[in-house]
Amino acid sequence: MRLAFNDDQQMFNAALDQMLGAEASEFRTVAEWGRWDYGTALDATLTENGFFDAAREETLGPVAAAELVMRIAARPVVVECAASALLLPLLDMDLPRPCAVIDGEARVVRFAPEARSVIWLGDRPRAALLPDSAVTPGETIFAFPVGAIDTGALDWRDLAPDPAMVRARWQVALAAELVGALTGGLESVLTHVRDRQQFGRPLGSFQAVQHRLAADAVQLDSARWMVLRAAQTGGTGDAALALGHAQNAALRMIYDLHQFMGAMGLTLEHPLHRFTYRAKMLRTALGGPSAALRAFADNYWGVS
Amino acid sequence: MEFAWTEQDRTHRARIRALLASALPADWQVIARHGPGSREQTLFSLSFCPQLAEAGLLVPHWPREWGGQGGTVWEHFILGEEMWAAGEPRGPQYMNVNWIGPVLMQFGSEAQKARYLPPMAQGRAIWCQGFSEPGAGSDLGSLRTRADRDGDTYVLNGQKIWTSYAGMAETCFLLVRIGGEKAGKAGIAVFLVPMDSPGIEVRAIPSLIGHGDIHEVFFTDVRVPASARLGEPGQGWTIISAALANERVGIPRYALARQVLDDMVGLLQARAGFADPVVRLRAAEAAAACDAARLLVYAVIDARARGIAAEASTARLAVIAADNAVNDFGMEFLPECYHGDGHPALLAHHERAIVTGIAAGAAEIQLNLVAQRRLALPKGA
Repeated sequence: MRLAFNDDQQMFNAALDQMLGAEASEFRTVAEWGRWDYGTALDATLTENGFFDAAREETLGPVAAAELVMRIAARPVVVECAASALLLPLLDMDLPRPCAVIDGEARVVRFAPEARSVIWLGDRPRAALLPDSAVTPGETIFAFPVGAIDTGALDWRDLAPDPAMVRARWQVALAAELVGALTGGLESVLTHVRDRQQFGRPLGSFQAVQHRLAADAVQLDSARWMVLRAAQTGGTGDAALALGHAQNAALRMIYDLHQFMGAMGLTLEHPLHRFTYRAKMLRTALGGPSAALRAFADNYWGVS
Repeated sequence: MEFAWTEQDRTHRARIRALLASALPADWQVIARHGPGSREQTLFSLSFCPQLAEAGLLVPHWPREWGGQGGTVWEHFILGEEMWAAGEPRGPQYMNVNWIGPVLMQFGSEAQKARYLPPMAQGRAIWCQGFSEPGAGSDLGSLRTRADRDGDTYVLNGQKIWTSYAGMAETCFLLVRIGGEKAGKAGIAVFLVPMDSPGIEVRAIPSLIGHGDIHEVFFTDVRVPASARLGEPGQGWTIISAALANERVGIPRYALARQVLDDMVGLLQARAGFADPVVRLRAAEAAAACDAARLLVYAVIDARARGIAAEASTARLAVIAADNAVNDFGMEFLPECYHGDGHPALLAHHERAIVTGIAAGAAEIQLNLVAQRRLALPKGA
């Protein structure tokens, strides 16, 4: 049991934070009431500097890759990172990123309009290059670019790794992205309740606010550790538990974050919605918390 | 980052389990039914702890000078985890091992160390913790039991309450206010008080948590020599803080909860009651709560092993949630097990679980601490 990042991972995190702190990843409103802002510049910087290859590096590995996803997802701009950091390195083929993942219906796929490749999960995991012609951008209330993918138009190749392993890795990736989004939301609300004065004192000095945010922090911190553990062990039970626990925590937390941000959080001029609406979509991924947790139960205790 | 145990830690855990397997009697679950403070379990600890001591597993983390082997932080922690998962056969003596002994080493006089540490290291000492009072629970700093100096002695007067283990303890780790000192933390001192001193009266309080576990303790003109004071007058709060630092994450309660959850699932499977997807979901949620607690506790222990004092209230809150999640699961899906005495393990866990959010710093105090320390929110008015 050794729960600290190693020296290489610490250097990796510090370099990453420098990139994430750049102006290109800051919040700015999007024209026409846009709900998401793809971080094109951040995406390019991270790619050029090889950040998405972390899982392939022996001293960094999936732990650093999961941490990468959590930190990127905590920024107001959105960048496709979960599949790039955790799924692509698992494959025996060299696919370009951004990478979309069909893990449910092909008509609403996150990042499809930005992606240059696609992975189709299921009993027979496959991958293909994704030309623009195969994507129809879609409308959504969630803060991600989404689109429909014409699966019949693509040249699919089967993936070599065991489907259960691919799925487990994707569960970790989704959990990491969700924990990141919730972390970004919590940070933004904490800043608000420390500063915002009502009744002559900061909102964050009221126990009614403190106790709920503290309870949320417990859930979030534990979800973060579950992500790191699942990334490190590669266990299918650990992966299911990480996703189910994060998805369960998200519901209550999203409610609290909006409550404490009040009317400001209802505007598109404040970044909170970017985090909470990503979290709302991620908490339903792969069937939501009940599917993930029942899968854990099957895995751990057997089917009946 | 590595979530697997080292070979050394695995061996250590296996040794503890082997000892437990041979030392616990067949009716252990019945003995352990009412918890570490019960008369049965306290008596059992007086035969069990010497065996642990013999095997070098009672105080392995203590310095060699006092009977330990200078073991690692993780070895100490694994010991606590295995003991709690087994129902805590050390009874009240876990306190000696975890914090009373180490605090005496840090603050005690040579005479106090020579008198109290050897019996602890031999597994033959029963202590109680005289902290809470009728008017000082969560607000411990407002305690009023007082010690007035009279020549070479102090005279103690006041009342403690909810005192675990007082019925059988030989010595009390007592918090008092030095006579004439104002309210607040500054005037507090610690005394090591023999429980057979004239003027001490102990009354068991009938309770939900075990036979003879909690007590009222009355001090009426109890005279103790000045040498019974631990550290300096007014150093009490520093001593308590050191004690709490030793006990930072508290009892690893998730270890028993997780084991009892497996028992519950086994009972449900035996009667084909585990096929229902709702039951399976709820069991997994309880398991998630146990793992959440385990990981947050491990993070604190890991920091400690590296010499860093990490914020521990987050972990404590997760432990409370874990104990309750498992207890709630059992009471909802196996209600019949809470009648009669056919399922001592579930009943024993129930009694432990209902205490978790109250003992050793209520959950709401922990939430305050997380808000202030982890979230840097301004202190409430």
